[in-house]
Amino acid sequence: MNVLTSRWLPHTIFALAAFATPLVFSGNRYFAFIVGITLLSVLWATGMNLLYGYTGLMPLMFAGIAGISAYVTIGLSAAGWSFWLAMLVGSIAASLVGIVLGLPSLRLRGFYFTLCSLVIQSVITLAFVYFVNLTNGDVGISHIPLPELPGGGQLTGTSYELVLAALTVIGVVVLTLLVESGFGHRLIAIREDDGLAETLGINVTRQRLAAFFIASLFASIGGALYAPYVGFVSPRSFDVLVSLNIWLMVAFGGRGTIWGPVVGAVILAPLPFLLQDYYMIKDVVYGLLIIGVIVLLPAGIVGGWKRKAAAGEPAPDVAQKTAPAR
Amino acid sequence: MGSGSDPGLRLDQVITKPARGCRRRAFLPAVIARMSDATIIILLSMITTGLMLGMIFSLVAVGVTIIYGSIWMPNAANGQFFLLAALLLWSASVSWGLHPALAALIIIGLSVPFSYALEILLIRRFYDVPNRNISYFVLSLGITQILAGIFSITYGIWSDQFQLPPLVGGLTMLGPFPMVNNRLAAMLIAALLLVALFTLLRYHRYGRALRAVFQNREAAALRGVDVRAVYRMSFMLGNAVVFAGGVLFACAYSFDFSIAWTMAITAFAIMIIGGPGSVLGALVIGMVFGLTQAAVSIFASPTIAAFSYLGAMLVILLFRPSGLFAR
Repeated sequence: MNVLTSRWLPHTIFALAAFATPLVFSGNRYFAFIVGITLLSVLWATGMNLLYGYTGLMPLMFAGIAGISAYVTIGLSAAGWSFWLAMLVGSIAASLVGIVLGLPSLRLRGFYFTLCSLVIQSVITLAFVYFVNLTNGDVGISHIPLPELPGGGQLTGTSYELVLAALTVIGVVVLTLLVESGFGHRLIAIREDDGLAETLGINVTRQRLAAFFIASLFASIGGALYAPYVGFVSPRSFDVLVSLNIWLMVAFGGRGTIWGPVVGAVILAPLPFLLQDYYMIKDVVYGLLIIGVIVLLPAGIVGGWKRKAAAGEPAPDVAQKTAPAR
Repeated sequence: MGSGSDPGLRLDQVITKPARGCRRRAFLPAVIARMSDATIIILLSMITTGLMLGMIFSLVAVGVTIIYGSIWMPNAANGQFFLLAALLLWSASVSWGLHPALAALIIIGLSVPFSYALEILLIRRFYDVPNRNISYFVLSLGITQILAGIFSITYGIWSDQFQLPPLVGGLTMLGPFPMVNNRLAAMLIAALLLVALFTLLRYHRYGRALRAVFQNREAAALRGVDVRAVYRMSFMLGNAVVFAGGVLFACAYSFDFSIAWTMAITAFAIMIIGGPGSVLGALVIGMVFGLTQAAVSIFASPTIAAFSYLGAMLVILLFRPSGLFAR
């Protein structure tokens, strides 16, 4: 029991923080909104971490999948479905679309997968712009109704943030369980050397496919909840820059660690709001951050810290585990 | 990529107005029955636009493929470099009143110290990292963001459409058909540049060293090739070629920020289809893309052309990742 407590201690602290922060900021809608977006970003970053951190794939179509889910959920809700059912159907549909689009590219490795996913993301964005009757094109959809509650009324304000917090905590716990399972170990083997993993009898494509599906679920649940929370979506809400920003959170915090992407998202997601007065230089700041992470922090904040901690004590396998796999 | 550019991949501003205006008339029957002067003008304008675009595509794609083939850097910032050259030329000739030809030479010259500084600051650090192409790719996306941000807070404030004074004025009559001298000159220069590049890579000592490094870095090093020098050279040469493409494009057409993202995607598609590292592939596929773009833009929307590039690139990636012209 003692071991269990210590193992889940960080999760408990994170859950407490995730639930407490929206309550603390419940008096100020602006800050509460920043908290909500940050929680969503943690969920997305955690999903991308499964692919980028543990499987060694860098998917740039992540936001596109979130977008498909958002549009499907909005469409079904508008057709009279309950939001929660629409969200379920939308997320699974978007993840399946992601699999169909991603299936061929999962045979590719490294940069070619990334490039392929960039192309797919571009196609998805073009499709969002092109199918005007479904997505309202570049104008976007505004006044998206809030999710209804079973007892009547709507999910709004602080309660929405608490739902986001719950999903985020569930997401982090699910990732932890996955990573510690045999499945997670197979993914890490694939990340380290997919050829060797293949010879060891691991079906690389199938494992990647499963990881891709689960990560797409993270993306699409986040996307479905994003739309009513913000109240407005357009193809811009889910373009390649969004994928890149989520990637940046993972890389900045530390890929391949549970808490790295969480830290990365908590630091980077509020940044656009804080930089609002300097919106002119926002692109430049993001660009500098990306380059800074690649050049100075290849293992991210948490990864670098872990490596430093590992260097102090004689635990060579820890150092190996957290070393960046490039 | 930045807020100023449009992911909608528009190249329509590239296609000359008469060609688009005449689209509504019955085009195919006219060809079948008897070619009128109007249709010949459309055809001629389509072919010249196609050749011009094709050469610019080829130039940029060659620049990208030289860099990818040697140092494994998929330079996603090529579109922004292209735009940078075009915007600098605009500044030099419109704001400072330099002659475009002189300004163009200066800007292509300036690309060398620019690339050298980038190489020292960022590129050099990754030469020996395994699987460095993803790091480089993300790095170049970061450079893209920075340049896009800088453009939108500088040039973006002044104007959203940029047009240069012509390089050479006047018209040449090709039989009864008028051709704009300015575009003919740009075309001629682009063709000469392509021939020069091809000759350099095929016959010069540096070109042979570059191709040796393309094929096998270790073997080339064993044979006495200074791999790092070749890397540095190819980074500078590749960027100079991209700058030249941008300068020529600015001379021939008016442009806006969306050209950067369009060019980046197109150059990548050409490189992948032609085969990464294959200069011949970049040349041939670049010309094919240019002519397709011109033809498709007359019959259908440029978005269709963009879709078809992406589709072609996807097919090649999946079934023949080494490209059509891979050795």
